[in-house]
Amino acid sequence: MRNIWVVLKKEYLTRIKNKTFIVMTFLAPVLIALFYGGAIYFATVGAEDNSEKTVYFQAPYWDLESDELSFEDYTFVTALSSTETMLKEIEDKKMSGWLQINDRDLRNLDSAELVGGASLSVTELQKLNNHIKTRAHEYLLMQSGISDSTLRRTEVNGGIKALEINEKGDVANSNTTLKSAVGFAMAMIIYMFIFIYGSMVMRSAMEEKTNRIVEVIVSSVKPFDLMLGKILGVALVGLTQFFAWIILSVTLLGGLSYFFSSGGNSMPQEAQNLPVNELISGFNSLPFGDIIVVFVLFFLGGYLLYSSIFAAIGAAVNQETDVQQFMLPVSLPLVFGFIIAQSVVFQSPNGQLAKIFSMIPLTSPIVMAVRAPFDVPLTEIIGSFILLLLTFIFMVWLSAKIYRVGVLMYGKKPSWKDLWRWIRQS
Amino acid sequence: MLKVSHVYKYFDDQCVNNDISLDLKEGEIFGLLGPNGAGKTTLMRMLATVTTPDRGEILFKNESLGSKHVPFIGYMPEERGLYRKMSVVDQLLYFAELKGLSRAKAKENVKKWLHRLEIVHWADKKMEELSKGMAQKIQFISTILHEPQFLILDEPFSGFDPVNADMVKDLIIELKEAGTTILFSTHRMDNVEELCDRLAIIHEGRKVLDGSINEVRRNHFKYEYDLGFAAAVTIPETFNCRKLENVSPNTYRITLQKEDNYQDLLQWAYGTQQLKAFGEYLPTMHEIFVNKVSNK
Repeated sequence: MRNIWVVLKKEYLTRIKNKTFIVMTFLAPVLIALFYGGAIYFATVGAEDNSEKTVYFQAPYWDLESDELSFEDYTFVTALSSTETMLKEIEDKKMSGWLQINDRDLRNLDSAELVGGASLSVTELQKLNNHIKTRAHEYLLMQSGISDSTLRRTEVNGGIKALEINEKGDVANSNTTLKSAVGFAMAMIIYMFIFIYGSMVMRSAMEEKTNRIVEVIVSSVKPFDLMLGKILGVALVGLTQFFAWIILSVTLLGGLSYFFSSGGNSMPQEAQNLPVNELISGFNSLPFGDIIVVFVLFFLGGYLLYSSIFAAIGAAVNQETDVQQFMLPVSLPLVFGFIIAQSVVFQSPNGQLAKIFSMIPLTSPIVMAVRAPFDVPLTEIIGSFILLLLTFIFMVWLSAKIYRVGVLMYGKKPSWKDLWRWIRQS
Repeated sequence: MLKVSHVYKYFDDQCVNNDISLDLKEGEIFGLLGPNGAGKTTLMRMLATVTTPDRGEILFKNESLGSKHVPFIGYMPEERGLYRKMSVVDQLLYFAELKGLSRAKAKENVKKWLHRLEIVHWADKKMEELSKGMAQKIQFISTILHEPQFLILDEPFSGFDPVNADMVKDLIIELKEAGTTILFSTHRMDNVEELCDRLAIIHEGRKVLDGSINEVRRNHFKYEYDLGFAAAVTIPETFNCRKLENVSPNTYRITLQKEDNYQDLLQWAYGTQQLKAFGEYLPTMHEIFVNKVSNK
């Protein structure tokens, strides 16, 4: 017990005092902000092609002037009689394409083709497709005697709003999208934490082996204590960094918002009335108490379990390059957790499959985090967490066994068979 | 102090330690000899609680050796290493605390040893900044920092430069005088004769010999006598020599038959009036070692 503390202290202090750690703690929030800012900027501004596109249009059974079809960046002009000229122009990039609709019945656009359409992106093509279909639908409605004004008058707007009964028993707004986003953000943080700090534990175990310190260590401290001390020490490093980031980000954001609000009301009026308020009210409706508890439990539990596996890998291999063969099977359950989270949790957060995978210790940290905002029954949370914790203890014990034997095996690259032999041997 | 009885250790199907028994007395230096791959390191790892025997028993002060004895044992393995990114002081404190020393006591001992080996000014340097010789000193300090009662040194002189090897030798003697029981393995027979009270030779996993240096040499006495003369002499045929060697000018090594009486030889030699020296020749540890290991 005492040695767990000694190891923990050493692992924590040597890392905290490290220059790289200090630099990264201050730099990472800036880098992350730049990364996301850049990503959002390019996603909204840079990605779309806003250039004018002129398309030849030809539809012998659709009584319509080509120009009536034009929208946004697309201008439609009547097709030429010479196919060759058109193709040449498209090839020379003078024209964007040639849309021909030869269907007699516009209800089935089976023969609609866009020459040159291959250069369009999926979203662009979809936009164009929807536009043409809508216009064809309107044309058919008018053909059956429904006037343009009737059409406009009968347009349906808005949609279903999901409500829920909150803890106080009131019916309140619910924001499923926001919940999913929060769930995924938490799962992402857990995933990153597991990999960044889990591999730190692995390298720590490996360092002792490659630097030949291990024999002295094993003669001084029980492998179980050593493993636990390492895992907890690195966890504290991670938490320290995590809280430093939160404090830094809050200070940074606070400073920025102060700067903007005092620098005159530069924000346009309509921007202030935008969905931001809705977002904030959506946030307020989230069951934050539950979410935070589940997040902390599975954040720590997930890290503990995986880092104990990483520790075993570190004890088994001799060099960084040998890590790969063991890394893949270990990261698979995490990636699988994400797939499950996406396909199942979005569709039915409290469904059977979601329940099962939030119980299995290897996937539960991810799946449970995503489910957290969707009122998971308390019994499931407790059950899953206990299972996670027990698996963690078991894994530390197993890692310790691998460590005890593995550390004394230098040279040869271990196989899965060797690992199994070591576990039985010690 | 330490009793090893009928210990076996297997790796896969190979028996690395085969029925080894040793008995170490308090405050003695015990040499563990044997060629490469004899099983010395395996045995030492068991004594250092790194591994456990598959069969047999190890007693430390009449108690079955276990993790509770860790604070009383110091172990310097043949494969040595330290944390490269840690400072000398932090490193030594860490090892001392792991061995059960309180923080205050650990600090006191670290200070004492750094002074003792005159490396105080290196205390805050990281290991990666140190020379190899310096790292060797730190390594040795880390082994004895917690004042172990039983010290296990695997090839303590290998890898050390002659100056540091002498330092280790002096420290071993000093620790013995302070009451520490020391077991070390080595290939170097001069160290053995110089330092060891008792020794054992291990070959192919088995103990082939043990005892005090004198006992062992006496037991391997082959009725050899060295005679030194002032001038050349001829050894008469009447002495039924098994072997006669001229080891240096006018000095002969005569191997007698077991039943022969060396006094007859002495009398004859005395009679030549040229005799300067007469003595038994006991085989060196080197000869015994080579003999034991190559015969088997």
